[in-house]
Amino acid sequence: MRVLLALLCVWPAAGVSVARAQTDYYARLGVTFATDLVSDNIVQDIVTRQSLAPTLAFGVSFPIAPAYSAGLETAFSSSGYHSTEADLDTDLGTLATGSVLLNLEGPIRHRASWRAGLGLISYLPSENSGIFLAGGTTRFLAGAGFDYRPPLLTHWDLMVSLRYDFHRFSTNELDRRGFTGSQGVQRVSLSLGLARARVPR
Amino acid sequence: MKLGSALPILGTLLAAAVGLSCADIAAPGRSDVYEWRFITSTGPGTTDTLSFHWPRSMLPLKIWSQDTLDFPNHVAHAIDVWKAAFLYREFDAVLVPDSNAADVIVLADSPAKLPVAAARLELNLAPECEGGTDIVPLPGSRTIQYPVRVFLLPRFDPATPGVSECLALTATHELGHAMGIFTHSSVATDIMYVDPIVSELSERDVGTIERAYHVQPNVTVPVH
Repeated sequence: MRVLLALLCVWPAAGVSVARAQTDYYARLGVTFATDLVSDNIVQDIVTRQSLAPTLAFGVSFPIAPAYSAGLETAFSSSGYHSTEADLDTDLGTLATGSVLLNLEGPIRHRASWRAGLGLISYLPSENSGIFLAGGTTRFLAGAGFDYRPPLLTHWDLMVSLRYDFHRFSTNELDRRGFTGSQGVQRVSLSLGLARARVPR
Repeated sequence: MKLGSALPILGTLLAAAVGLSCADIAAPGRSDVYEWRFITSTGPGTTDTLSFHWPRSMLPLKIWSQDTLDFPNHVAHAIDVWKAAFLYREFDAVLVPDSNAADVIVLADSPAKLPVAAARLELNLAPECEGGTDIVPLPGSRTIQYPVRVFLLPRFDPATPGVSECLALTATHELGHAMGIFTHSSVATDIMYVDPIVSELSERDVGTIERAYHVQPNVTVPVH
């Protein structure tokens, strides 16, 4: 999974010669907010959540119809994660996530566009402990978003993006401990970036 | 935006809605635990139940081990075993080089040689070695005996087969006491059984130490 994510990261950055003139690629930097990863109860309720995470995303897409494109988007985020029990917060370490989404993109109006896709998300903890004692996990992911791309430079647009995605979370350690089911996790990210201008000015 | 082009977005939102409608993760009951608190008689028909766990402000706990009979490795293994019992970093410990700075001191000595304290834990008497822990408050006190002293000693020549394994599992057992499990389990498959024979924690051990670290203690560490 890590190799796949690395390839998907390098690929658009290195450039692809196929249909180069029509290839759309971009890089964005922003922050991601995520809902609770685990809800537990030991005497009292305990929730585990990832903190607001700086996020770096790369994407590439190719036209598949006059107004539509298909593309791949990879995103990496890293931040702390913590548990909260009553009013006690405990730092649990650093948690990185890497995701890849196969997207369909289409226009809305003016310089705004939508995208929606399916993919995978991997959780990569800095330390195999606690809920990640048996290592990270990879889950299916569904996502959608909006982009707004005003022109910035001759060959580059500014890209303002809003993303929403959803997956269900659990880990091997939670399964081993007797947790059942999985937790629905929603993430929202807001980011700014540069995108190769679709029509050079 | 035309309805047709909005379908993928609507599809994603529908998938999220379906996913959200599924039941969220459900925690295990953790009901299979044993009594870990020290229940002492305080008079005719009255008892006192003492519970303790190390406050998070003192973590990682500092443990000093006498450098003999592979004790440091046995204690390091015991720390790893107990740390792995927790999901939310409720406990952590490190070995320190100087006993003067330690919260827990592990000594190669027989607990039987020490003066008998009424509240001291019963000795564990695995066949090849013995161990004991002085932590339980003395009568009338609401603080643990600090620093906590753990005693480990082979009962035979240390080269005898089984002695090293006995010291390893006894170190884990005694560290369980030093963490706040004041009493013994009555089930032989638990590491906290009075005469332990297993080397790893059972589900009951894990459930018990988790519970112990989420119950408000009424025994504290003395000011030091």
